[in-house]
Amino acid sequence: MYEFAQMLLKGLGESLYMTLSSTVLAYLFGLPLGILLVVTEPSGLAPRPWLNSALGLVVNSARSVPFLILLVAVLPFTRAIVGTTIGTTATIVPLVLGAAPFIARLVESSLKEVDQGVVEAALAMGASPLQIVLKVLLPEAGPSLILGSAIAVTTILGYSALAGFVGGGGLGDIAIRFGYYRYQKDTMLVTVLLLVVLVQLFQGFGMRLAKRSDKRL
Amino acid sequence: MAETIIQTRNLSKRFADGNLALEGIDLDIYAGEIFGIIGKSGAGKSTLARCLNLLEKPTGGEVFFGGESLSTLKGKALYQRRQGMGMIFQQFNLFMQRSVLDNVRFPMEIAGFARRAARVRAEELLELVKLGEKADSFPARLSGGQRQRVAIARALALNPRVLICDEATSALDPETTRDILALLRDINERFQITMVMITHEMQVVQGVCHRVAVLDQSRLAETGPVREVFSNPQSKAAQALLLGEERSAALLLQFLKEKGLSLEEVLSRV
Repeated sequence: MYEFAQMLLKGLGESLYMTLSSTVLAYLFGLPLGILLVVTEPSGLAPRPWLNSALGLVVNSARSVPFLILLVAVLPFTRAIVGTTIGTTATIVPLVLGAAPFIARLVESSLKEVDQGVVEAALAMGASPLQIVLKVLLPEAGPSLILGSAIAVTTILGYSALAGFVGGGGLGDIAIRFGYYRYQKDTMLVTVLLLVVLVQLFQGFGMRLAKRSDKRL
Repeated sequence: MAETIIQTRNLSKRFADGNLALEGIDLDIYAGEIFGIIGKSGAGKSTLARCLNLLEKPTGGEVFFGGESLSTLKGKALYQRRQGMGMIFQQFNLFMQRSVLDNVRFPMEIAGFARRAARVRAEELLELVKLGEKADSFPARLSGGQRQRVAIARALALNPRVLICDEATSALDPETTRDILALLRDINERFQITMVMITHEMQVVQGVCHRVAVLDQSRLAETGPVREVFSNPQSKAAQALLLGEERSAALLLQFLKEKGLSLEEVLSRV
């Protein structure tokens, strides 16, 4: 029993590590990409229709690859970066690659919610496109971006469970090894319950934070 | 004759979808005056307002601001010229996630003011529009009239020479409209800021404007002192606007008659 609890705790730690560091890294790519998608639109602040279509195509293509296939397909790339293809750290590479385009779309839709009139007001005051992104779009979209990040975290947590298939560790790994391969239904149940609780926590925390930061309420 | 601060020559705008919004507009707006641009919806008023600070890029002709042609300006040079023109809007367009004070401070942030100086000036401006005690509130908590006052304070932050008001009172009730118009007139008199009032409401033009241009189907129908245009309209469009007013007055009188009320009675109650 004690060993079981320890194993679960370790899995939980690994899951959190994979999920949170992947989310942060994925935002490093996804946030600028999302901003670019909005800004380069034909009706955007710095219209670059050609670049916009190209970025859209890249994002859509990346998003249409099933995560399990991405996981395997990028193994050589993972090895080049992390030095190994197994373990939690190695899983972060495909997680970031899989989540960044998804995050870009989340960011894009949050920024598009910002009232165009407010952007126009800032333009009329002589703000540059960069100033508008930093001082208008991002702050005005703040609550929506926070909600989006809750969705991102929970989705990445879900992806990370698949990492068990390539020896990635974490709760998903435990559920697959003990629950699926060895028919230990109760182990599977406990790990899945833990994942449910985690998702609830992340989502609940994100929603509370978004509500708190929103000055429109 | 007073100095001309905004001038358009043969200004036209055709949108990408082929729709012609403005054609051959020649305007001379004098420094210090309140200049009205009136017309029905769809006449091109808002497009004209947006061409004055190049929020819309004209497809033909020129816009001059203080004698300088804006049409060829780009990037930083254009952003700087825009800082010399304030603008307020029908929907106020305040930053909802910024406090009232931070809204007013925004243009000064953009222009690179020192934080402290910006704060002091923002507080002064809020006093000017009589919202000093709302500095730390957020726009969502304010009424429409209060929001427009914040927008006015914000538009004045960089000491603009011109204030463009795009249907600034159209979303407000009649009483608040009067207050806002009085405030704008007061600002015009005290600071000699030129105002361009885009509106579809006759009473806005009658209430505060010195001269007016009537815009009709993308073209200027006539321009002149308000009293002249209203007492002796030359163009069909101006006549129609006035006639429209008369017609609504007639409808109102008829309505009152049906209800068994007299106009004096109603006015005494307001």
